[in-house]
Amino acid sequence: MHPREGWRPDGTSPVARLFGESDQQPRPNAQADISRRGFLRRGAGAGLLLGAGATGASSLLAACSSASSGSAGPTTIPLPRPHNRVTWPIFADNKPIKSGLQPEQGATLEIYNWVSYINEAVIKNFCKKYNCNYHITTFQNIDEMLAKLRSGQVNFDIVFPTIDALGELVYGKMIRPINHSYVPNIHQAWSDFTDPFYDGQWQYTVPYTIYTTGMAWRKDHVPENPYAMANPWAMPWQAKYRDKVAILDDAREGISLGLMKNGIFNLNTTNPSRISAAGSQLVDLAHLTNVHFDNNDYTEVPGGQIWIHHAWSGDIASAASYMQKGVNVDQVGYWFPPDGNGPVGNDLITVLRGAQNPVLAHLFQNYFLDFHNAVENYSYTGYMQPITGITPQLLVQQKLLPPTLMSTTVLPSYFRRGVMELQLPVSANTLWEQAWLQAKNA
Amino acid sequence: MALLAPRGRARRPGEPHRLFWAALAAPGILWLAVLFIVPFYVILAIAGGYVNQIFGYPVAVYNPLHWSSANFTAAWHDMFGVGATVLPIAGRTLSYVAIASLISLVIAYPAAYFVARFAGRRKGLFLVLLIAPFWVSYMMRMLAWIGLLQTDGYVDKALTSVLGIQPINWLGGLSITVILGLVYGYIPYLILVLYAGLDRIDPALIEAGRDLGLGRIRTFVRVTLPLSRQPILTGMLITVLPMLGDYFTNQLLSGAAGTRMIGNVIDDQLNAPGQQGQGAVFSLLVLLVLVAPMIYYVVATNRTSRSAS
Repeated sequence: MHPREGWRPDGTSPVARLFGESDQQPRPNAQADISRRGFLRRGAGAGLLLGAGATGASSLLAACSSASSGSAGPTTIPLPRPHNRVTWPIFADNKPIKSGLQPEQGATLEIYNWVSYINEAVIKNFCKKYNCNYHITTFQNIDEMLAKLRSGQVNFDIVFPTIDALGELVYGKMIRPINHSYVPNIHQAWSDFTDPFYDGQWQYTVPYTIYTTGMAWRKDHVPENPYAMANPWAMPWQAKYRDKVAILDDAREGISLGLMKNGIFNLNTTNPSRISAAGSQLVDLAHLTNVHFDNNDYTEVPGGQIWIHHAWSGDIASAASYMQKGVNVDQVGYWFPPDGNGPVGNDLITVLRGAQNPVLAHLFQNYFLDFHNAVENYSYTGYMQPITGITPQLLVQQKLLPPTLMSTTVLPSYFRRGVMELQLPVSANTLWEQAWLQAKNA
Repeated sequence: MALLAPRGRARRPGEPHRLFWAALAAPGILWLAVLFIVPFYVILAIAGGYVNQIFGYPVAVYNPLHWSSANFTAAWHDMFGVGATVLPIAGRTLSYVAIASLISLVIAYPAAYFVARFAGRRKGLFLVLLIAPFWVSYMMRMLAWIGLLQTDGYVDKALTSVLGIQPINWLGGLSITVILGLVYGYIPYLILVLYAGLDRIDPALIEAGRDLGLGRIRTFVRVTLPLSRQPILTGMLITVLPMLGDYFTNQLLSGAAGTRMIGNVIDDQLNAPGQQGQGAVFSLLVLLVLVAPMIYYVVATNRTSRSAS
């Protein structure tokens, strides 16, 4: 579901090195890159199965303990869709903070985020400006984040959720509504975000990064150009590239790929036959190409281990840092439908209800909506923010992005036309997960 | 207190009481209870639990009377139902582990035998060298192999320049890569256990064999090999168990659909919203499979120690 899923806590910057060294040098230490990312999607640890079982189980234990205590919760929650705007309720015991408060002095801002998903230089500037310290805690996936917040044993000020977690965050009263008077920079963001369908009137959220899911390929090994193909979503289904094809290791992204190959662009479908047909496509793909399931698109395509990789835009934006020796970065391509009809997603910044420093937290939201700060943040993460003025041309001109990878940026038109993978009813989600596991076990 | 003293033997003054020895075992028992039995019960509770129908997270049920069989039947269908996908993976896992253990044994036994019997004064050095791999974390060692095996890596370079063969896409999802990865990862454990066992064989027994007219090979087959049965069994157990549950050797060195093992299936289920219950069932299944050789081991050890005394 998310480009940062599974990043390890010792992560380092992919893009910071961009253009920092010549393409002729060997690529940066591949071991460190890979250890930072991906392969153990959810938690390092012993190779013992029992160990894995116990780890999983203990987080589940945390989850269930709150299930019994939180029995007063809702029986259903609304599912936001582009044609079904949701304006979340504001509860009497969880109101926005008052206007005109002074920021907390000498405080330590507690930030809860994905791994390697924020430029600390920007936070340092923020703290200089407001005389505070900061501390970052990381999570590897949304379930881990929610489990920790459910437990209530946390003191974070800021959290970076995905859209599909909003229902639980709001109804669980984990996040606090925003007092807009502290966040004037919202007007630097694309106008979409003052009234997004997933949070009418932006009561709880401001946008963070925005990204697309598309197809990355090595032009020197794969002569076919997806921009000229009738159905580029079918690009991985080619037996001649056996062992050189990979798709993202993620249930929603994977099944969505199968759906799109079948010409279906409702990526929140609950139709069992469509879901299972998409799963069958992936089973075929596995038999045809011995497909890899991984999220190492950012190293494997530049490194040449994989030639066609279902990929996230911000990952491929970092390609130059990981190029194979002697191969120029313009050999890596990233395709996203030019008409914008493909998967897009955006992340959020929210203030926690239990925040000790709510004023600073609001100011932090405001700070990251500023053009200059967002550009500096991009220089580290490779994931752009939907801020007016951050355009592909600007990023290329500032040498933050190779011109051949301008397709990795997200245009407002992509965002408006694009399709989002949003929260599903639990029963439908089970169908998605089962179809995905079937495909992986094919 | 007197009840605890063994019958027919009075406690001598100054000899520590039996309770003292029992107290020594307490930390271990506590460890076992907290880190094995409790998590094990939680896995059971999740296997018998249900899924929260609003947010989709699993809910554990701790009262066995309220356990649901839904996850168990779902797992049964995955194993034996129409179009079952897990059974072939279980079979693949068993064959990978069997081949990897055999290769490990073939490599480890001579190495351990050499150190135990012929290393002489340099035994210490060899032991240190054998333990050296443990200084580097398992994960780092696997990551190092990714660097070596990748396209244009040193392994391919060496093979093409020395043998003149075509580069092999080692990381492209080959069974052999995964099997060799397993061998590489777990062989130090096997060598150490074999060494400990072979080192304890009384050289006098081997000399006796030679004195009684057996040749080198027959001494090995009739004396050394039977005496090393127990270390081989222990060593195999110690390597087979983690290999069976391993998921990240495979994830790192292949990640392809054609080499998935049962550990990958469970890993995926534990991380798929709503599927954790089924993952818990498969974890228990693997545990059951592991218990069988464990019991055999305990029985065999008992038999050996009884016949020895």
